[in-house]
Amino acid sequence: MNTLIFFQTAFAGRRLATLGFLWLVMITVAALAAPLIAPFDPLEIDPVGRLAEPGWPNLFGTDHFGRDTFSRAVYGARMTVIIGTGSVAVALLAGGLIGMISAYFTRLGHFLMRCVDVLMAFPALLMALALITLLERSVFNTILVIGIVYATTTARILYGMTLKLRGEVFVDAAVCSGAGHFSILFRHILPNLVSPLLVQASFIFAFAQLQAAALDFLGLGLPPEVPSWGNMLSEERIYVTRAPWLLIYPGMLIVLSVFSMNLVGDALRDSIDPRFKDDIAGV
Amino acid sequence: MALLEVQDLEIAVRTKGKLLPVVQGVSFDVDDNETLGIVGESGCGKSLTALAIMGLLGGTTVRITGGNIRFDGMDLLTLSDGERRSIMGNRMAMIFQEPMTSLNPVYRIGDQIIENIRQHQKMTNAQARDRAVELLSLVRIPNPSERVDSFPHQMSGGQRQRVMIAMALSCDPKLLIADEPTTALDVTVQKEVLDLMADLQTRMGTAIVLISHDLGVISETCDKVAVMYRGRVVEAAATENLFAELAHPYTRGLLNSIPVVDSDVDWLEAIPGRVPTLEEELTGCAFHPRCALVTKLCATSVPQETEYKPGHSVRCHFSGKVAP
Repeated sequence: MNTLIFFQTAFAGRRLATLGFLWLVMITVAALAAPLIAPFDPLEIDPVGRLAEPGWPNLFGTDHFGRDTFSRAVYGARMTVIIGTGSVAVALLAGGLIGMISAYFTRLGHFLMRCVDVLMAFPALLMALALITLLERSVFNTILVIGIVYATTTARILYGMTLKLRGEVFVDAAVCSGAGHFSILFRHILPNLVSPLLVQASFIFAFAQLQAAALDFLGLGLPPEVPSWGNMLSEERIYVTRAPWLLIYPGMLIVLSVFSMNLVGDALRDSIDPRFKDDIAGV
Repeated sequence: MALLEVQDLEIAVRTKGKLLPVVQGVSFDVDDNETLGIVGESGCGKSLTALAIMGLLGGTTVRITGGNIRFDGMDLLTLSDGERRSIMGNRMAMIFQEPMTSLNPVYRIGDQIIENIRQHQKMTNAQARDRAVELLSLVRIPNPSERVDSFPHQMSGGQRQRVMIAMALSCDPKLLIADEPTTALDVTVQKEVLDLMADLQTRMGTAIVLISHDLGVISETCDKVAVMYRGRVVEAAATENLFAELAHPYTRGLLNSIPVVDSDVDWLEAIPGRVPTLEEELTGCAFHPRCALVTKLCATSVPQETEYKPGHSVRCHFSGKVAP
């Protein structure tokens, strides 16, 4: 109930953010109902109909194996959602735990947060590349690597917020009522962190898309047979002059999704912290 | 043996590598059904003493450096975490200064009371809820069966403080520590809250430690009083004895600086200066820079606790003397 009101106020009067939200809903629906929406099997090869132009029945044309680009794009949405939610889950779980525990147990926290600082010193993509070379290419490992990269920023943010909440009187009151460490951290402090976590989740979701697309493009992300937007870009880039639609469609999908997620994130953040409001006029 | 015995309590703050004493040699005891008032200006160590009793000085910057605190025969300073947790909120409870922030904003007040009850007593959720409603009506929250589902932000300051009292009383504690429970409330609500506490005390026989900087509040509600100044108890006596004959110049100063509504004086007396900060090195009596009776002796030697009258102790070289 409260969450509903929160969303309502967050999107009130923000047309672009609402459009972004609708776009994301569409992506999610496409991901869930991919087999119903896609007219062809995304892996079916048709050597005769290679590099067909967009039209009927291949809405987005076909690639160099004759696979239907529209079907692959729909299945790619599935990967987008899986990678996004997976990375968000890993980042929030790992980062959240590290941040909260560091703020609560200060001595351990000094050590943990210095480790986080070291990890943050690496550019995100560089760290992702370094980690992925240690692991095999798979959906799970891509999620893990992107999750770890964004766990660092999450840890920092939650560290600060937990530190502030820890000084609140209601935490002292909880100690006075005989609550243990676990109960204080997860029953009294964590519920107060839900809205910042939500905002953080939306931004990580957007960044994870870019990161995954970049890894795919470099041939280090998802296995090549998996239909994802990044893989589509990576495989078809040599056909950019002969069949530009092979790059335009997945590229547009990535841009639109990341942009939408950022708009939604902005809207959520502004409703929590009004100081940022009107930073980018009207967005 | 008294219910709560504090003996020679010493608390120090670590700043820039130095240990600065903030509470020195504080001793008092409280019996069942008795109210002790601790009074003094801000920064005198009243709240720290309360926090020390509740075990909230866990940090590395403020720590207890000496003395002992016994509650019901147990040494609170050597208890294990688990043992301490089973006492806190159960047999001793605390009410905080800021009613606006001492409730968790994301939980309904009923759930917070229920959690406290179920932490210490074997009860089903429904039983604990009934108890919560009963407690809310006890602290005179109107419409308790509905208000139990309110969030803290839907209540006024006075109501929140009453919810805090209800929570503190949820397990029938033997000792209640109230750290300036009425400071953030306006006068009428203040009276209601104090009356409520007094009423609950007569009903349940709870011992109360009431911390305040308001001598009016103290004189009305407490059985005995300890006046603190810069970390020391400077005067302690039963309330009527204390107010019958103020022996320490600081206590007199405090009382004189209260405006009297129906008197026709033009000038309100005040204690000159302020409480010295921790960093300021002080020799002798901590009050001497502000005292009207100051002599060379005051600046060099710390006055020991002396018995001014039976049951009335004072730390002053010139106890009982009035400034010319």
